[in-house]
Amino acid sequence: MQPRLICLAIAVLCAWCGVVHADEQTEAQLLQRLEQQEERIKVLERKLEIQDETARTAAEGAPVVKASTKGFSFQSADGANQVRLRGLIQADGRFLVEDAGLGGVDTWQLTRVRPIIEGTLYNFVDFRFTPDFGQGRTVIQDAYLTARFSPALRLTAGKFKSPFGLERLQSAYDIRFVARAFPTSLAPNRDIGLNFEGDLFGGKLNYALAYANGVIDGGSSEALGDVDVDDKKDWIARLFTQPFADADSFALRGLGFGIAGSYLKQTGTAAQPLLPAFRTSPQQTFFRYRSGATPTIADGERLRYSPQFYYYVGSCGLLGEYVQVSQEVARTTTAGTRRATINTNAWQLAAAWFVTGEEETFRGYTPNSTFIPGQSWGALELVARYHELDINDEAFAGGGASFADPTVSASKAASLEIGINWYLNQNLKWELDYGVTRFDGGTATGDRDDEKFFLTRFQLGF
Amino acid sequence: MSDHRYTRRLVLTAALALVVPFPAVHAATTVTLLNVSYDPTRELYVDYNAAFAKYWKAKTGQDVKFNQSHGGSGKQARTVIDGLAADVVTLALAADIDAIATLGKLLPLNWQSRLPHNSSPYTSTIVFLVRKGNPKGIRDWGDLVKPGISVITPNPKTSGGARWNYLAAWAWALRQPGGSDQSAEDFVRRLYKNVPVLDTGARGSTTTFVQRGIGDVLLAWENEALLAIRELGSDKVQIVVPSLSILAEPPVAVVDKVALRHGTRDVAQAYLEYLYSKEGQDIVARNYYRPRDPEVAAKYANRFPQLELVTIADFGGWAKAQRTHFAAGGVFERIYAP
Repeated sequence: MQPRLICLAIAVLCAWCGVVHADEQTEAQLLQRLEQQEERIKVLERKLEIQDETARTAAEGAPVVKASTKGFSFQSADGANQVRLRGLIQADGRFLVEDAGLGGVDTWQLTRVRPIIEGTLYNFVDFRFTPDFGQGRTVIQDAYLTARFSPALRLTAGKFKSPFGLERLQSAYDIRFVARAFPTSLAPNRDIGLNFEGDLFGGKLNYALAYANGVIDGGSSEALGDVDVDDKKDWIARLFTQPFADADSFALRGLGFGIAGSYLKQTGTAAQPLLPAFRTSPQQTFFRYRSGATPTIADGERLRYSPQFYYYVGSCGLLGEYVQVSQEVARTTTAGTRRATINTNAWQLAAAWFVTGEEETFRGYTPNSTFIPGQSWGALELVARYHELDINDEAFAGGGASFADPTVSASKAASLEIGINWYLNQNLKWELDYGVTRFDGGTATGDRDDEKFFLTRFQLGF
Repeated sequence: MSDHRYTRRLVLTAALALVVPFPAVHAATTVTLLNVSYDPTRELYVDYNAAFAKYWKAKTGQDVKFNQSHGGSGKQARTVIDGLAADVVTLALAADIDAIATLGKLLPLNWQSRLPHNSSPYTSTIVFLVRKGNPKGIRDWGDLVKPGISVITPNPKTSGGARWNYLAAWAWALRQPGGSDQSAEDFVRRLYKNVPVLDTGARGSTTTFVQRGIGDVLLAWENEALLAIRELGSDKVQIVVPSLSILAEPPVAVVDKVALRHGTRDVAQAYLEYLYSKEGQDIVARNYYRPRDPEVAAKYANRFPQLELVTIADFGGWAKAQRTHFAAGGVFERIYAP
């Protein structure tokens, strides 16, 4: 074979070997690259897993912040600790068509301006702090701790609503009239002490037993400087049942009734008589005990009791209570010291009807719609009540030595009020009440003239 | 005594009588302990808790229930500081319990002296877990920085085991000819360049290596490596013992403030003390931790390879090691960028 041919053959053979070898290398490289890509994918997937796990763990331990129509809250991840911020602002108007000679003035006022701080610690202790900046004052309305040992036993210490009056126990946010009724004028408001309370029989029976400083009828402890004036304490007890709370019958579920009582022995002084004055819904004072140099003072036992009930079915609700207070009083004049037991009683029957079909309840309300101009109107409620307060004639007997001056103080006030409440949404409410109050006595010549009034309220609550 | 003072005392006594017995009633029958532990001890405490509950019931008549929390040691310590109510902590290294004492103020600063062996009832060390047959030929620390080698180790910021791994690597590098802090830093920098995934804890790294099949070598607690072989089989993975490693001393402590609040101080103390008992040490060894008790150690000697070990004292103690290497601005933050 010629050398040229041999060289050509060799060259062709080498080229062919190079091609084969290059293919093999490319395949090996491709396989390696594939393995590397697979490894990278596995690594990325694992990193994503770790990232998800870390985010999940962080979320589990992260505090929960909420903002809703019920206020603002900060809560630990496990819910055992939380702080809630709520508030209540009530801007009221009081307009007297007839002031019954009591001298009241028409006025706008901020009745309640309350930031409310409440919460729970360790899922065991609840707390509440409510300062109030309304009416030109700063008052601590609530400041208490409640230890929840079980549903059947809660212990509250601090300043709290006395477990007595039914309407008083209804939140200011929920009351259906601008002013509370006469029975609440006889019930204690906020007091300082201890309260044992619990729910029995699946929540159908609530009991409360409080041992507190004692406050005057309708009053709160800040009127006495948030301290007691003597060693004697007020015992307050209440039983309230909703026996048909889980009944099959829809009509009976909303029925609740109970009785409350309180007992205190106390002695007032000229500087601090420890006796109440009574006011009408527009806050006009129509009864007070004699004051001045020879005042009437509390001197002995004060016994209160109050049967009470409510009934809610569908869009209608009825609330009623009766309060009687038997108070031993004394007055020292130049003629000597007179003592007597003065019985004061008050009762009310209040009805409410959600025209727009919402459910009436003792606590809270939920409008079916919110006010959007041109689209929806929120909830509308019509309310009416009759309430009266009667001081027995013993208070006025004795002429100049009487415990109360019949030429100034009425022995009875009876009021009929109607109203309309417009709930724009869960948080905004507008109220308008019209009422007429009739008096027995109260002037030198006989019965005081009727009082006629309008009350209105613009309320923001959350 | 006047009526009102008598009444007042009666009411206050009644209030106290209602409040005081409530915790006592519960303490008499059942008590629950929360043990916040590091990542790989799950199996250990399943066995140990059952044994202790039986022992305590026989001794006191009281039932003990356990809640366990596991995770990276550093992460667990921070969780306790932030409020997780641990009755006891059983973590990977003393620095994490030191943090609970100094930052959380939940136990005294001298906690480590309250139990034998500096409160470490067992020890462990760091070994390599490789694929069966060791296809990448990994023999020692120096092989980990070769190109193409993928190393699995957790994040030292969250994992106690990861910190032991790091320090073992550093110690090896220091021992090499011309070894210095600079060369050791350079070595760990190259090592972490070969780490594709940083899990938060040792168990996570085991999952990455064993179940996800990622990496050529896992730097593992010895007990994790032995457990992996037991669970997976010796036909899947094998252990490579490096020439040098570190004596890891996981400590335990009662979290006093929490235990006192829960009324579990006595049982928590007994729970940790029982780790030092013969039965406790046997359980420890059966779960592949190196027991302190010489008799138990002799019984399980074949299970644990002999190797040269440095200790944390060689680094000046945990406080110094933590400050130098793992704290903000430390060496690890300098050498590792995700």
